Amino acid sequence: MTTPDAAAAAERGLLEIRGLVKRFGGVTAVNALDMTVRAGDVHALIGPNGSGKTTTLNVISGLYRADGGSVAFDGHELAGRPAHAIAALGIGRTFQNIRLFGELSVLENVMIGRHVRTKTGFLGALFPGGATAREERATRDRARELLAFVRLDAARSQTARSLPYGDQRRVEIARALAAEPRLLLLDEPAAGMNPAETDALVVLLRRIRELGTTLLLIEHDMNLVMTVSDRITVLNFGQHIAEGGPAEVARNPDVITAYLGGTLDAA
Amino acid sequence: MHFDPVANLQLLVSGLAIGSIYALVALGFVLIYNAVGVVNFAQGEFVMFPAYIAATFALPAVAVFGGVVHWQLPLIAVYLLVIVLMVGFGLLFNRIAYYPLRDRGWLPVVISTIGVSIFLRNLVQLTWGSQPLVLPPLFPVDTIAVGALHIRPQDLAIIGVTALLIAFQYVLFERTTLGKQMRATAQDRTTARLIGIRVGRIVAITFVYSALLGTVSGLLVAPLFTVTKEMGALIALKAFAASIVGGFGSIPGAIIGGLTIGVIETFGGFYVSSAYVDAIAFVILIGVLLVRPSGLFGERVAEKA
Repeated sequence: MTTPDAAAAAERGLLEIRGLVKRFGGVTAVNALDMTVRAGDVHALIGPNGSGKTTTLNVISGLYRADGGSVAFDGHELAGRPAHAIAALGIGRTFQNIRLFGELSVLENVMIGRHVRTKTGFLGALFPGGATAREERATRDRARELLAFVRLDAARSQTARSLPYGDQRRVEIARALAAEPRLLLLDEPAAGMNPAETDALVVLLRRIRELGTTLLLIEHDMNLVMTVSDRITVLNFGQHIAEGGPAEVARNPDVITAYLGGTLDAA
Repeated sequence: MHFDPVANLQLLVSGLAIGSIYALVALGFVLIYNAVGVVNFAQGEFVMFPAYIAATFALPAVAVFGGVVHWQLPLIAVYLLVIVLMVGFGLLFNRIAYYPLRDRGWLPVVISTIGVSIFLRNLVQLTWGSQPLVLPPLFPVDTIAVGALHIRPQDLAIIGVTALLIAFQYVLFERTTLGKQMRATAQDRTTARLIGIRVGRIVAITFVYSALLGTVSGLLVAPLFTVTKEMGALIALKAFAASIVGGFGSIPGAIIGGLTIGVIETFGGFYVSSAYVDAIAFVILIGVLLVRPSGLFGERVAEKA
């Protein structure tokens, strides 16, 4: 299936993190982290609380500025780029604490997610009609498709706030997908979900992977991580302590001591 | 005093007209507050300053810096010119008064807007002196008879233009991507930035839009009053009261609050005493705050506080 070009791209890594450092005052949250996310993979970033996972995601998406090292996305250095420019390059994300625009409708939330792929400027918006109206319709149609994709089309007119927790997560994912990201960062997508919602999430993540979107996810639910991941990076105290496929990582003694305090099967 | 339906209808029209002005200025307050979390104390000067510029271009002779200019341009040209200049003013205001302070919390920005307000009033004093100017109206300010009613066409123009602007804004916010970005930015700036919205640009657009709301109200209301450096202050104070009555942060609240205060103070001025007109807005404000502290439409007040 893989063409030589795609294989080379996968080898290079869609996201290359080298020697990343992020400090908060005296605390070094991420310490000389190296990590490669290959195109097309579901890549999990795991580690104990406070090991620097969310900080890493926040640096990638431009919310924090790194204190050292480099983050390259498809060959573009991300350091110094503002968050909106990083989003426009093709990196989408969801949040540990769901951050939907609660008073906007579900459909509007997803439509907003798409705007980095639309062209209408200020003047176009001031004088609706013609191209603006067409683009608005196209955006609406695409948002409806995405809501259907995450199985939430029926809830499109409700305010985002009024949805159950698990559904809000799916809206967030649809909003991120609306920008057609090549890399989607998911910060604890299963947090607070019941087992049925988590199962549905696993199905959804696989379908997103099939679309060709690379996923980098932080997750504490080890069953989910072991089920969906192609590769896993383990962090402890801001440092990379292991990387590999699920089985490999599960056998790694450092991981077992540092993070799990036992075997993965028991987790 | 006997009940006179015609007089009441006339009062209602002029109440809605002045209420429309309060509503436009209140919208300016609310939009800026929602976008950057700060009350803009220079909002009144967004009304006063364009009125001076308009009067300068429109009148046959205006003393400026001790000299006299005689432009007397057609009113429509004046309006367009002032609107273009005020777009620049909004951008400049964002750049100078807000942008450098955007990461310093709300207090420095508030002080900065107060500074701009003082600066503009003194600039106006220096430039045009203390003599009031009178901006010609687009329509006659004298009443015309509509059946038994005597109505000022300028009042109808104010109500009509305000209705159009509110309709425009509704379409902008509900039907366009830009509007959705503005609403999203107002709700959560960090998330907006992270999903790729250029928040700085949205904030700049919000300042420009608020400056234009002030400009339109200044151009509309100036023919009814005189153009003085204080003209914006009282309007802004009442508009601020209106936005609180409506529930601070609420867009429908700002509109309803503005119209309510305009209508009640007009009736109050007629039936109670015209000496108390300017106090009525604040009596309403205190009354609403006692009964419903979050304002008529205000759920977001408690949430933001």
